[in-house]
Amino acid sequence: MDFIVAGFVKAIELLISGDNSTWTAVWATLKVSTCSMLLSVGAGLPCGFLIGYFDFKGKKHLRTILDTLLALPTVFIGLAVYAFISYQGPLGELGLLFTLTGIAIGQTILAFPIVTAITASIIENIDQDLKLTLVSLGAGKRNIIATCLWEVRFGILTAAVTAYGRVLTEVGISMMVGGNIKYSTRTITTAIALETNKGQFADGIALGVVLITIAFIVNLSLSFLRRQ
Amino acid sequence: MAINSIIFNLKKIRHFYGDKKVLEIDDLEIEKGSITGLIGPNGSGKSTLLKLLAFAEQPTFGKIFYKGQKGLPFSHLVRSKVTLLTQKPYLLKRTVFDNIVYGLKIRKDTAELEKKVKKALENVGLDYALFSQRKWHELSGGEAQRVAMAARLILKPEVLLLDEPTASVDTESAKLIRKASLKAREKWGTTLVVASHDLQWLYSITDKQLSLFEGHIFSAGMENIITGPFENMDSNNSESKGVKKVIKKLSDGQIIILTAPHNKENKAVIRKSNILLNLEKSKDNNFTNQLSGHISSLLLEKKQSNIIATIIVNDFSFVLTLSADQISSLSLYPGKDVVIEFDHNDVEWV
Repeated sequence: MDFIVAGFVKAIELLISGDNSTWTAVWATLKVSTCSMLLSVGAGLPCGFLIGYFDFKGKKHLRTILDTLLALPTVFIGLAVYAFISYQGPLGELGLLFTLTGIAIGQTILAFPIVTAITASIIENIDQDLKLTLVSLGAGKRNIIATCLWEVRFGILTAAVTAYGRVLTEVGISMMVGGNIKYSTRTITTAIALETNKGQFADGIALGVVLITIAFIVNLSLSFLRRQ
Repeated sequence: MAINSIIFNLKKIRHFYGDKKVLEIDDLEIEKGSITGLIGPNGSGKSTLLKLLAFAEQPTFGKIFYKGQKGLPFSHLVRSKVTLLTQKPYLLKRTVFDNIVYGLKIRKDTAELEKKVKKALENVGLDYALFSQRKWHELSGGEAQRVAMAARLILKPEVLLLDEPTASVDTESAKLIRKASLKAREKWGTTLVVASHDLQWLYSITDKQLSLFEGHIFSAGMENIITGPFENMDSNNSESKGVKKVIKKLSDGQIIILTAPHNKENKAVIRKSNILLNLEKSKDNNFTNQLSGHISSLLLEKKQSNIIATIIVNDFSFVLTLSADQISSLSLYPGKDVVIEFDHNDVEWV
């Protein structure tokens, strides 16, 4: 029990003293998670809208595949991305292995089905009277799409935050694709895994506290936006 | 009727939801500036017809002409000119002001928005200072409906379609919505098409009533529908005289006799013009059907100065048109026992 308490004390010290390795991991995490969240929202939002708004043949099957992808293991994504961007892989020449860009690609693949599936569900559940109301008020097709998205903006924010939470806390992709290189591709989660393996619980707890704080701030911001 | 006085012309409309046919209209014209009432039970096709007239949906088969031209959803011919107010309209998740100006902003008509919103809110009895900055969730059901009405009136529409606009609002809101819709017609010559279960209101304001039943339209207003099952009448019965007939037994022992349908139709329509009313049954007339019942309501059809009488015969309700003189000479009033008479041949099967 003592080592846990000591860990918390050490955590505060590390954060206040501006420990370089801790803060590098924090910035790497923020950078890569934000980037992959934005990419997944950029791609997942229109895809989710199309799936949710239109009825087409095979929609049910597509939804099933999408829902299955929600449970995609991060190590599998890590493996697949590794295979593609390793020096022997088809994208090896791009030199993405063991870079933050490589991790961002993997995390985007992880977050994309989350954003798409949640957006599709939100759009599917839009009040049927909304479209009728918009047509009644003279809206064109583009107005309808824009207004529908604006009407479900809180739902879309939730999708983005859920995706952010997922990529922020994953370890498989970051470890396999990033390689956990100190001062470079080490993220909070890979650092926690490493420090715990080394028996450095204080460092691990410090990083854990940071991770929870980031997640808390993101959710708090969402609640604030909702209230607005 | 001059062609340019027709605002809607529906030709051979067949509309389906999946495999189910929900509307079947061969020919329907609605005159510009008129008030048309839609009457019918739930599921009869009133809302579907209004959605088609609003060009929110395209009919599966057939064409709708708007002012002589084929109207299509999103076409400039109809956008912002035809507007629909439903029973539970959707208010956008923004302020009352933004809800009301939405349609104007769409058509880039952004001059004097505040003045226009003030006027629109005034038309539906809402105070600008109190309501314009309220959010959508800060309104009662009646207020929300009035805001939705204001959002449509601000467009000065050529056609205002109302689908049960007062069904779920308070009395005061209902009164103001009715008043505002009539004012639109008076001020801008707006054509009104109103679906409502409030027959008293409908008959008092409409120029014409259209009755709908299971997607079929009856242009002479409310008609009498007798639903199956029917039993075949004994062919040896002396009264059948070789003509195939069917009967409907009522639970009080009365029997309705009708000429049998040619195909498998199972809904009989008796036009109200074919029904006569008497105070007692008589033996010296040729009507096959003489049914005892009582008057349940008398509604004034204002434009025609006729009175629509509803007669309850056991489980069925029959309507027929009476003149004021008939009401007076027969001393008719709701609750009075009467007899309705019609011939078995005066039946249409749908």
